[in-house]
Amino acid sequence: TMPAADYLISGAVAVGVGLDRTAALQVMISRPIVAAPLTGWLLGEPLVGLQVGALLELLWLGRLPVGAAIPPDDTQVAVASTLLTITMGESLVLSGPPLLLLCTLVAMPLGKIGQLAERLARNWNGRLLIAAETALETGDLAAAERSHLWGLAHFAVASLASFAVIVLTGTLTLHALVPLLAGPVEAAAGGLRLTFPLVGIAIILGSLNVKRARTLFGASFATALLLLWLL
Amino acid sequence: MEPDRLPARVLARVVLRSLLLQGSWNFERLQSLGVLYAMAPALRFYYRGEELIAAGKRHLEYFNTHPFMASPVLGAILDLEQRRSRGEEVSVGVQDFRRMVMAPYAAIGDAFFWGAIRPLAAGVALFFAFMGSLWAPVVYLLLFNFPHLWCRVAGLLGGYSLGLRIVEVIRRLRLPDLAVRFKEVTVILLGGLSAWLTFFSLEGEGVSTGWGLAVIPVVVLLSWLSRQGISVLLMVLAAAMVLVLSAQFG
Repeated sequence: TMPAADYLISGAVAVGVGLDRTAALQVMISRPIVAAPLTGWLLGEPLVGLQVGALLELLWLGRLPVGAAIPPDDTQVAVASTLLTITMGESLVLSGPPLLLLCTLVAMPLGKIGQLAERLARNWNGRLLIAAETALETGDLAAAERSHLWGLAHFAVASLASFAVIVLTGTLTLHALVPLLAGPVEAAAGGLRLTFPLVGIAIILGSLNVKRARTLFGASFATALLLLWLL
Repeated sequence: MEPDRLPARVLARVVLRSLLLQGSWNFERLQSLGVLYAMAPALRFYYRGEELIAAGKRHLEYFNTHPFMASPVLGAILDLEQRRSRGEEVSVGVQDFRRMVMAPYAAIGDAFFWGAIRPLAAGVALFFAFMGSLWAPVVYLLLFNFPHLWCRVAGLLGGYSLGLRIVEVIRRLRLPDLAVRFKEVTVILLGGLSAWLTFFSLEGEGVSTGWGLAVIPVVVLLSWLSRQGISVLLMVLAAAMVLVLSAQFG
């Protein structure tokens, strides 16, 4: 596909899966392990998305979307990292897994942007509540219902904005970093690939609140490693 | 005159609308407008004119619970509203019931769905993902959404047919205990996943498998650091920097 089409398709995915985070359904198409392969599949490279999703899935999973708490937007980081990996290869000297790792590393800190955008959308929704109250005062239930649906538009705008900022900032950062880091990132790719899941697993262990989680983890790890070594 | 029970098409609309419960989430009253939106088709069936608007205002009050656990609550409220519209005596008012259950159900839902089912589904799906299998997202969605959609649909319909007795049914499911079991399974699964990733990574680099055991203290340390409030972003970027610098100068 044309690069322009890639950006449009990813933008549409960003909005669709972005809504799943809070506003609609919550069937978890917003999780990186789903959102990234979906993006990759639509852009013709599902395995790139699968790898990006696997790197990101555990990192912020322990940050529960409870009440007023808003976790960093790993959905937009996943969609954007996938898009960047697929589209940037041609203009950069880096490709394959090292490029994928660098794109994900560059996009990761930008998850904060999504956090901010969602906060703004939720603030914006405060007006809808006032509009709904006013509608009920005038006896118009249907207008109050419509107010609710406008909230979806607010969340959609927030998702699209975070996606656009991450892609734009990511593109500029990659152009600046790749000439400096291409070699070392290629050399460190093996370690980097292991870093993401291990940090993610450590974070989940810390957040699960299971008694003796670390002991249980150590026992399971040692047993599995021994079995793999024996087989 | 007694209105009938809600027709299937009205119930179906309430179930579908409940999927958009958080569509207008705001800091002032959280899910309140979402509740009004979900309940509106049923309220229209029960009430007319002034009474309808009064019912609408009742549901625009502050509401916040886990989005999936909201379904049994909404179901029981449908039953309460139905009794109220018929002029029956009810032991607990609509607003009192909402206020009573939303906090405990938020805690149950957060621990069960966010705290237990989601990491478990992720742990299983990651095995597929690291094998390079595109079944990973499918497995993830199936594992998560079976309990999710069951809670949403059966919870709402059950709440409507059982009324306040749904509270007892949910209590008997012992979801908090189940959550603890699922979390333990997840820890074991993640231990296996880390060992598996470490094993193949060492094999690829041509390093002896025994060194893999060093991963245990590293993960334990990182997990302790995360509990001390060190952010994941800092950990990943710091680790990446160390790896890249050592590749550059090592």
